[in-house]
Amino acid sequence: MKALLDTFSVVVQIAFRNLFANRFKTLIVGGIIGFGAFLVVLGTSLLDSVDHSMSRSIIGSVAGNIQVYSSASKEDLDVMGGFNFDANDIEPLTDFAKVREVLMTVPNVAQVVPMGINGSMVLSGNTVDQALAKLRLSVTARAQGDSTPALAQTYADQKDHVRQIVTVLQSDVENVKRLHDEKALVTDDLGSVSRAASPEFWASFDAKPLDSLEFLENHIAPLATDADMLFLRYVGTDPKVFAQSFDRMAIVEGEAIPEGKRGFLFSKYVYEEQVKLKTARGLDKIHEARSVRGKLIAKDEELQRLVREASTQVKELLLQLDAPKTRLFRSKLQGALHSTETDVGKLLGQFLNTNDQNFDERYAFFYRELAPSLELYRIRIGDTLTIKAFTRSGYVQSANLKVYGAFAFKGLEKSPQAGTMNMMDLVSFRELYGFMTEDRAKEIAALRANSGAKEVTRENAENELFGAAAAASPSAAAPAPVADDLNTELLGLAGGHRHDEAKPYDVSQLEQGVILNAAVLLKDEALMPQTVTAIEAAGKVAGLPLKAITWQKAAGLIGQFATLMRVVLYTAVLIIFVVALVIINNALVMATLERVREIGTLRAVGAQRRFILAMLVLESVAVGLVFGALGTLFGAGLVALLGKVGIAAGNDVLMFFFSGPRLYPELASHNLVAALGIVLVVSIVSSVYPAWIAMRISPREAMQSEE
Amino acid sequence: MTSIVSIHNATKDYRLGKVVVPALRGVSLEVSQGAFLSIAGPSGSGKTTLLNLIGCVDTATTGRVEVAGRDTAKLSERELTRLRLNTIGFIFQSFNLVGVLDVYRNIELPLLLQHTLTATERSKRVLSLLERVGLQAHARHRPNELSGGQRQRVAIARALVTHPALVLADEPTANLDSVTGEQILDLMKELNRVEKTTFIFSTHDARVMAHASSLVRLADGKLAEDPGAAAQDMPFSGPGASA
Repeated sequence: MKALLDTFSVVVQIAFRNLFANRFKTLIVGGIIGFGAFLVVLGTSLLDSVDHSMSRSIIGSVAGNIQVYSSASKEDLDVMGGFNFDANDIEPLTDFAKVREVLMTVPNVAQVVPMGINGSMVLSGNTVDQALAKLRLSVTARAQGDSTPALAQTYADQKDHVRQIVTVLQSDVENVKRLHDEKALVTDDLGSVSRAASPEFWASFDAKPLDSLEFLENHIAPLATDADMLFLRYVGTDPKVFAQSFDRMAIVEGEAIPEGKRGFLFSKYVYEEQVKLKTARGLDKIHEARSVRGKLIAKDEELQRLVREASTQVKELLLQLDAPKTRLFRSKLQGALHSTETDVGKLLGQFLNTNDQNFDERYAFFYRELAPSLELYRIRIGDTLTIKAFTRSGYVQSANLKVYGAFAFKGLEKSPQAGTMNMMDLVSFRELYGFMTEDRAKEIAALRANSGAKEVTRENAENELFGAAAAASPSAAAPAPVADDLNTELLGLAGGHRHDEAKPYDVSQLEQGVILNAAVLLKDEALMPQTVTAIEAAGKVAGLPLKAITWQKAAGLIGQFATLMRVVLYTAVLIIFVVALVIINNALVMATLERVREIGTLRAVGAQRRFILAMLVLESVAVGLVFGALGTLFGAGLVALLGKVGIAAGNDVLMFFFSGPRLYPELASHNLVAALGIVLVVSIVSSVYPAWIAMRISPREAMQSEE
Repeated sequence: MTSIVSIHNATKDYRLGKVVVPALRGVSLEVSQGAFLSIAGPSGSGKTTLLNLIGCVDTATTGRVEVAGRDTAKLSERELTRLRLNTIGFIFQSFNLVGVLDVYRNIELPLLLQHTLTATERSKRVLSLLERVGLQAHARHRPNELSGGQRQRVAIARALVTHPALVLADEPTANLDSVTGEQILDLMKELNRVEKTTFIFSTHDARVMAHASSLVRLADGKLAEDPGAAAQDMPFSGPGASA
């Protein structure tokens, strides 16, 4: 045994001395191997960290560990919405209570969150509409005999504001006319706006306020183009259970939707990006780019564009200014700019034309001095939001929901991928989606009673026209959605008078009734695949058409991203190592051919083939291990350093993948083992062919004389 | 006296592409133990091929080759290797030392391959051989620090370290000047006399042949017809070879 060890020691000695004798070759081969190991450690560590943080982002925001939906659905569920705005066609599950009951029989299920995801357009009223609405309230109050001096003052201010708006719009329309010379289109507008701007119009306003208001609403308000359609994606859910289940969710403004109340929560991202005053949003973006990402206006085209936009598009601000505010802005801006300019529009343009020297000062000034007089958000927390959505059968359904606040998913505040999901209570969601709820059924009954004659006429008319066909149509077998759609129209007629937000619902309604999908949170995440199977099996037993998918699938393309990156990384690593393998193989073949005589001699004096094999493999493995370890060490060092310093997320997309503004990669031992393992395999594999050649070297080679 | 090598009508063909080149065309040879045999002949006469067959680094195409009583045709690659390791010592024309090992290790190498002796036993043998070849002072030198003659002496020590029954030397003096060559041959002769080791060496140098106790001549892959030249006993005494 001891003698065998001595034999081995001579193998080692020959191997190592050979490596040292050919240090240049050893260094090149080792360098490649070391680089490969370095790359594997760095790449896999980064990817693991991204994967980990991103999976936390997705699981902790909307997806949960597993999503369950109806297996009868025509499309796959995609809770992140992928890159589509439309919600996918998901068949509803009619009774959440039953679904929950079945899911809870699966041992690994910890929590079930009911959901429905849909999207709709919301028209936020424009500034003119809002000003006119306020004026109308005062007009109504005056008509009802309120003659307090306070009201008189408010009324006068509001009139002033509207006049101011008309002036702004007038110059706007004239500009358009100058630019486009589209007489046919513009003449009407110009006529309206001239009339509204005329002193006569305002002189007669008090005498016939309602007529005048109507004129303004019909002819002037449409000229203000700042009304935006908001595209809102929302998840209808049990707000309380949702907040408990998704640890990443946090209310950042306002409050949560109270239990049993109808309501809406904005995603902070949507609220900032789409609802906030554009000028303010632009300033925020410049501020963030400068302070967080260290960008400069002078050097960044995107920031220059934002500055240009802010300084040229001041109308949105001007429309908000009534006479006193105009005076206030004038004096403040004149002071700030040391200017004698009296046109507030020009002053604002000048003020917002910022550069790197004055930006911080003006940003602070804007929020300190100007913002308090402005509506920074088109929809305020506490406002009522009218959401109009298409039901599944194509009718428009609407709900008035109070905006209770805004929420964000921690770490994903800046991420468009996770940030586009708003939230409402499930009961309102069902109504918008076109499902009959208890309240709605009652409301319809009441409406029918109130407008009985009209309804009958309508029904009769339809029956007369389509009666026979309707009776024969398949929809007769399933009358519920048809009736609902018809009733929707009835409700639409009653639209303005409904105040859904004031109308509480019984919490039990959340439990009972329709959902589209449900997020399942697990006790043990490691058992996810088994649980998916168990859920589908439980569904089968209970006669529910349940389909369960992992969060990766539920998050669609985004969920696949980590897998995709992994494929890319592994492909890159594979290519590097294949190249390394070829290079190393070549180097070793050359080295072997140079050593034919030595190997032949060893064979002649009695070395078995396995001795030669051991010698060559040992050389490769030694190089692989030593340089692989060095590369691994460097990689680990860099990862450890990055783990302390963090990698900045340069843009919003990276924010999502990093699950925050910086990624702090962690070193996992399995990555080191993997790197060393790969390196070892590559070293061994690359020495197979040269070793095969070496083993076939005949001892005769020793006898060939050197000519 | 028993034969250490017994060759009966051995032929060896080499294939060069589609052409078959006969290197040996039926050689029969008996070498008795303790011989100091020279295989002589011009280049291409088949000296090295014959040595290869005797040295078990190659096997005959036809005919029988027995080394130390074993038919080499019937041995596996591993058994042939073991036979070389335990029975045969090799001395090469170009010395063929392992460049990365020092003199001591080079000599010890066959013993390490045998792995039967303890470190102490090995060291005793290596040191005594170093003394015998006069290189005690160079034990820790690498081959490239030695002269040609010194290197060949290391090779001789390596060939003898396992106490082989037979030592083969392929043109052992071809790469040495004549004075050094003489010294090497004297050393080999002395070892043959004292240790009774059988030496078979090939050469085409008449001065070297003169040292042999017996001589076979090869020409065109055959032993020379001249009966006087074949297995001819040389002036200095000793057991010979017979064709």
